[in-house]
Amino acid sequence: MKVLLSWLRDFVDVTASPEEIAKTMSVRGFAVEGCEYLGGDLSAEAQGAKADAVIDFEVTGNRPDCMCVIGMAREVATAYDLPMRRLVAKGKDRDEETGSSLRLASLKAVEKADIDVVIENPDLCPRYAGAVADVTVGPSPAWMQARLKAAGVRPISNIVDVTNYVLLEMGQPMHAFDFTKLAAAQIRVRTAKPGESIKTLDGQVRELSPDMLVIADAERPVAIAGVMGGADSEVAEETTVIVLESAYFNPLSVRRTSRKLALKTEASIRFERGADSRLPVTAMERACALLDAIGAGRARGTVVDRYPARIEPRTLRLRRAKIAGLLGVPVPDADVKRILESLGFTLRPWTSPDDPESWEVTVPTRRVDVSREVDLIEEVARHYGFDRLPSTFPPLTAAPPPLDPRIGRARHLRSVMTAAGFSEAMTFGFVAATAAAPFAGEGELVPIANPLSENFAVLRPSALPGLIDAVAHNRRREQRDVRLFEIGARFSGGRGERRSLACAWTGTAVSEHWGGGTRDVDFFDMKGVVERVSEALRLDVRTEAHREGWLVPGRSASVMTDGVRIGVLGQLAPAIAEAHGLPVQDAVYVAEIDLDDAEAAAPKEEARVEPLPRYPSVTRDISILVDETLTADAVRATVRSAATSTLVQIREFDRYQGKGVPDRKISLSLRLTFRASDRTLTDAEVQSAMDNIVASLKDRHGAIQR
Amino acid sequence: MSTDSISVDQLRDRFRAQLARAATEADLKALHDEFLSRKSGAVTGLMKTLGTLPPDGRREFGQLVNTLKTEIETALDEKRAALESTRRPAGAVDVTLPGRKLPMGRVHPLMRVRREVEDIFAHMGYEILEGPEVEDDFHNFEALNMPPDHPARDMQDTLYLDAPIVGGTWGAHRGTIPEAQVRAATLLRTHTSAMQIRYMKTFPPPVRIIVPGRVYRRDDLDATHSPMFQQVEGLVVGEGITLGDLKGTLEAMTRALFGDVRIRLRPSFFPYTEPSAEVDFSCYACGGRGCSLCKHTGWIELLGSGMVHPAVFEAVGYDPEKYTGFAFGVGIERMTMLKYGVSEVRLLYENDVRFLEQFPI
Repeated sequence: MKVLLSWLRDFVDVTASPEEIAKTMSVRGFAVEGCEYLGGDLSAEAQGAKADAVIDFEVTGNRPDCMCVIGMAREVATAYDLPMRRLVAKGKDRDEETGSSLRLASLKAVEKADIDVVIENPDLCPRYAGAVADVTVGPSPAWMQARLKAAGVRPISNIVDVTNYVLLEMGQPMHAFDFTKLAAAQIRVRTAKPGESIKTLDGQVRELSPDMLVIADAERPVAIAGVMGGADSEVAEETTVIVLESAYFNPLSVRRTSRKLALKTEASIRFERGADSRLPVTAMERACALLDAIGAGRARGTVVDRYPARIEPRTLRLRRAKIAGLLGVPVPDADVKRILESLGFTLRPWTSPDDPESWEVTVPTRRVDVSREVDLIEEVARHYGFDRLPSTFPPLTAAPPPLDPRIGRARHLRSVMTAAGFSEAMTFGFVAATAAAPFAGEGELVPIANPLSENFAVLRPSALPGLIDAVAHNRRREQRDVRLFEIGARFSGGRGERRSLACAWTGTAVSEHWGGGTRDVDFFDMKGVVERVSEALRLDVRTEAHREGWLVPGRSASVMTDGVRIGVLGQLAPAIAEAHGLPVQDAVYVAEIDLDDAEAAAPKEEARVEPLPRYPSVTRDISILVDETLTADAVRATVRSAATSTLVQIREFDRYQGKGVPDRKISLSLRLTFRASDRTLTDAEVQSAMDNIVASLKDRHGAIQR
Repeated sequence: MSTDSISVDQLRDRFRAQLARAATEADLKALHDEFLSRKSGAVTGLMKTLGTLPPDGRREFGQLVNTLKTEIETALDEKRAALESTRRPAGAVDVTLPGRKLPMGRVHPLMRVRREVEDIFAHMGYEILEGPEVEDDFHNFEALNMPPDHPARDMQDTLYLDAPIVGGTWGAHRGTIPEAQVRAATLLRTHTSAMQIRYMKTFPPPVRIIVPGRVYRRDDLDATHSPMFQQVEGLVVGEGITLGDLKGTLEAMTRALFGDVRIRLRPSFFPYTEPSAEVDFSCYACGGRGCSLCKHTGWIELLGSGMVHPAVFEAVGYDPEKYTGFAFGVGIERMTMLKYGVSEVRLLYENDVRFLEQFPI
């Protein structure tokens, strides 16, 4: 809201400099977005207190009453404890010295004037005032044009300028119709009929729907109520008689219509936030006085004021104790009264004898934001000064509950992953549908109804598409070795919102060093990460070969715990990598673990330590030749089932294929560790266990011991 | 006598000169041989002349020669030790070569700052919990005093879902909660304030929580905006909670994060608080005198806050006559950018490892 300071000074004699006013008001609830000095080459200092400026106040959505000069003047008057000057019927047209013009015209309220006004929907239009004036259309005077321009409004003609002037000064949107273009000299405020349309002032033809309120003449809509006038009844150069409209429309109705038509105007913004139901006739008197003052025309002296749904001012109770109770500091009665009365509230001692500590406060109708006691307390606090509040602490009155385990878990995983060399990424919760599709089952994608762009069209079914984009971003910036992870929500139609840990790894597993030993990441590096994460989550996991469209076949696996799939791991399919802008020859390994599934599978009880072994262990190595398709898991299962409980560890320490090993066979070497908790094992015991194992391996897998 | 004693001194001088030049073990060996060799050593030679001396001079001369011998031995030993200490021991390595780098990733800066905030409030006895990211209209708007068609909804341009889905869960650490899961989520939460409602509907006062998490708005990604960002919501409800308590609490948070700064509350508007306040803190770069960081105002905007609106209490079944409370919502991006001098919000979402690795381990 751009406010010209000299205009504001018409209503309050504030002598502070523009900068000082800006500073003061910004801690009274009106943030200042700019303060532009006027007055040619004179510096602000040279102009001093008389400096004129345009101050751009940010008016919050709850304060439509301040979207005008008088509204801001009232706030300034309260802030500086100054009296307000009022618009009066006997005022001067224009004070040559101060430039102020505070005159209202005297209009006589009549039932029917030259124009007939009928409100068909009093709920949508509680009040409508119409007045007729004879005019000569031309440009408005320079002073008026200058004020409009300073406020950011383009001068159009004396008639339109007067309505805009009133809007800017008083906050009352007005409209002028060409009287001769209204059929049967009639104003009907009604909802639109099916199939009706109107060409608005901006030249667009707009289809109307029956929930929209319009201003119509005897035949057709001539304006969209509270939003925009119609082109057909527009005031033009040849216009000689006008009908001025000054009304109060239902905020919700205007808001819905404006949204539906995607048409926001200075009028609609004020009406939808809430105009002042008391103001229409005063604004009409002001407009007529201005028409007269600038020689644009003369009102016929009557006004038709239809007010079928009277809006009475609210009264609220304000309790002294509640002020201190909410603010933490008592405010002296004198300050409470001074502030509220200056803002236009009236205070009376509360009539009930059981509560002498209260006031009965009448709220001016323009203050649509004040409907409860706390709103009054805010008014007091605002002008008493937030800077006078004490700094205190809320008492601790209950034991704080434990940390949300999900936060604790994420912290834990964060340290596990960073220790594994992965940096944490933060990617968006939505991705492009094409990027998401491979990661979601049929019909599982969750589309956003109003996405910003195609890139943000669906909720992510996995954190991987975003993570792969992040890898690609780094790859394009000369970063060959990238390890990233993310912990966050993912979404699907069937399972809803769930949390996952996703990671991606490309480049080296062991970074380049003068001592050698560098190599690229492979499947088992990523599996190692998954195993580490599982340990951190206290889960026993197995991996099973698994096909996934977005992973390289034969290099992808399910991560299983207790028969439940909690995640996937593997090498990213080159086609997917390429779609994300990664070079096809780059191997990218990825994994994702569902943290909600993992949590469900994790043991609930604390880990407990076991006593350390008291007797020595015995290790035995065994090398076998088996089919290359035989999985390590199958071999382990056989070994375990053949061994007694003294077998405590199985470790694959070599796997060889090539010279000396028959085609399609592998040589697998296992190191088995035996130990008993109650005795030292004898050679014979271990040998017997080994014999059983070898026999079983031969029996089940045709394994040949080497 | 005198000629002989001179020769002892001369020999000493000769040895010293040669010792000064000796640079290797071999030089020391040669020196040893030259002076002390049993067969041909110069000192040995002098000792051999002892028998030729008259008996009364032998004792004195013998002492002189012995002193020289001891001196030479000691000097050779010392020099040898000195040489040894500079010699490269077997198996020595070039200790200046770079070590093998242990891989270590970085926690995302937003999470570092979020953790800091969590810790600050944990120390003040707050419960820290997360909530679902997809929400329903009631919890995100309606119960927060933003009924349908409320103009304030425009302030938070919302992303809606095509069709409702099952949302996430919350509060697993608080036992069985009847409504621990969002049944039909229709939108991406625009603030973590939605959890205020879920929490208050479930638990009676007193309340003392912070809720960190991701929130979404229909904004394009640019230098200062992001369609997704991180927020920490705080809520304290009890008997006698005041705006002063809010001020003190936020002052404590701001000081913990940014050092010795002042804060100020400015009246503002949020539908779910009354009174509402924007909170600024004094610019740490210029101490409040005004600089480019604070746009010459001396103040930096930090967050929005206020006293919980009675309508919110009514929506969750708290008695607004009995209880008061404060709430605040602070953007983690903003704090991170201020704290680490990050110029653009975009950088926080590019996940460039060259950026991430600038943050300490």
